Amino acid sequence: MHTLLENEVEPAKTLRSLEMTRELGAATIVQFFPWAYVESLEGKYDWARTDSIVRLARLQGLRIIARLGLTPGWARPAGTTLTNLPDEAFSDFADYAAAFAARYAPDIRHIIIWNEPNLSAEWGFQPAEPDRYARLLKETYARVKDANPAAVVLAGALAPTLENAGSGVGLNELDFLTALYRLGAGAHFDALAVHTYGFRAAPENPPHPGRLNFRRVELLRQIMIEQGDSDKPITITESGWNDHARWLHAVRPSQRAAYTIRAYQYAEEHWDWLEALCIWALRYPADLRGYPDGYTLINPEFLPKPVYLELQAYARGWAADESLWLDPPGNN
Amino acid sequence: MQRRAISLLAITALAVALFLATVLRTNTPDRERAFPTGAIRIGVDASYPPFALDDGDSLRGLDIDLAAAIAQEIGLPVQYRNIGFYSLYDALISGEVDALVSSLPIDAARTDDVRYTSAYFNNGLVLAFAADSSALDVEDLAGKRIAIEYASSADSLLKAWSADGAAIQRMPYELPEHALDALRLGHADAALVDSLTYRLYQREHSQWSSASHYITHDPYAIAVRRDNHDAWQLIEAALDQLRAGGELARLIALWL
Repeated sequence: MHTLLENEVEPAKTLRSLEMTRELGAATIVQFFPWAYVESLEGKYDWARTDSIVRLARLQGLRIIARLGLTPGWARPAGTTLTNLPDEAFSDFADYAAAFAARYAPDIRHIIIWNEPNLSAEWGFQPAEPDRYARLLKETYARVKDANPAAVVLAGALAPTLENAGSGVGLNELDFLTALYRLGAGAHFDALAVHTYGFRAAPENPPHPGRLNFRRVELLRQIMIEQGDSDKPITITESGWNDHARWLHAVRPSQRAAYTIRAYQYAEEHWDWLEALCIWALRYPADLRGYPDGYTLINPEFLPKPVYLELQAYARGWAADESLWLDPPGNN
Repeated sequence: MQRRAISLLAITALAVALFLATVLRTNTPDRERAFPTGAIRIGVDASYPPFALDDGDSLRGLDIDLAAAIAQEIGLPVQYRNIGFYSLYDALISGEVDALVSSLPIDAARTDDVRYTSAYFNNGLVLAFAADSSALDVEDLAGKRIAIEYASSADSLLKAWSADGAAIQRMPYELPEHALDALRLGHADAALVDSLTYRLYQREHSQWSSASHYITHDPYAIAVRRDNHDAWQLIEAALDQLRAGGELARLIALWL
């Protein structure tokens, strides 16, 4: 489950989010720990908020996959966004990642280096640059391993997109990963983090380079096999379907619940290389009043949506072995 | 003395006239102030049929026809801007368009920036039942078979009713149209679906006789900038005219 606890103000809400994650039946959370929040002043780490999240997750028995990113103002040019990471700041970011890895070594082994570097918006609104990301991986990997030799460094997490080279939006994750291997980055990650969304397609919909769907992750797996990297696992750190009534890429609420469960069934049956399948997202602290609200499993008031209840029944083995709905009456 | 009294009377009359002129100027909507480009620029997300759809050559749908009818009432030409749903309010607030006619649910959190007209359509949940059965209301549902779309707002409402103690037989279907099929074919005693789905289903099954009433309200309204009071007044008055003259009902019946 991907949680968004970095946006919570009250510890009680962080705790309730984690309780509901455990009650759902999830064993793992993906949680963002923004560098800009922890080291807003150069050289001064404020771990209070991070400590609280890690402690509360431990109390719920949840494993954390930590996602690191967002550049503090002092480490990037004025007027740039938080996703801008200049070359000069690579070592500062690696310092943060190493400090994080060392501090939380007893609780956290899995660390994702940055987020969706193949999207321009997540890369400082610059074209996707596999070469620069490969250099970031190399520098950070070594520092994290020095800090915690047991750490598992994840590359990515790559976003699903059909953009081609030269696009101002990003670069499709297939070309991006291929480029990473060509640049020798394969030696600098232990596992791959992937985002794969179903959009309007059923989870069984077959993958194709020109199509965005749940099984698109299989194309990345194929690239890893071709690069002789088949022993490395993949973790899906964002996935799911959206049921917002006014979004073109959304499905009906009924389909969302059914597709989500079928996605887990498909992954269990076919993907032995997959370490975890994490849904985006548990909850926003407040409604965003837009289509992203259609991705959450519980609302800001902590009321579970039907998809949460169905997923809980599936995860906990409560689900009766029957369809979620009746056959269309015309078929009877 | 008499001259002084006349002067005082004249000054008073002038003050009253000035006051009335100011009040009237304030309360009478000014068309040029409301729509300074000389046209009514409408923001619409044309990806939501049958309210609005871009068929490649033109925009069509209830929202499109409604905006045209309003413009005609006001006496200005209409211009459409096809804008993604999530950018509509930005386009309105930035002044790119004068009004949004895009099947907008009223969002109370936006009322610092925008003002909504009265609703022109209610897409709330309706409880539908066969016309030849006795009318059903919420308190009559104990023991009844109620068809709903699985995991929908109707499903949540039905579960809430059941939690309150009503012994309702829940019949979940994948799609709201299947719930209405169940009602039409006699598999269910009632169906709880949104009003739009119900109306479109009735069009598809014109021989089927059914009745319904609203259970919840989900009003669609037109939005204008909060500081453009003239535009709000003119559009609201036009809507009133369309409503009173039957044109709004005719447009709704044409598309839904």
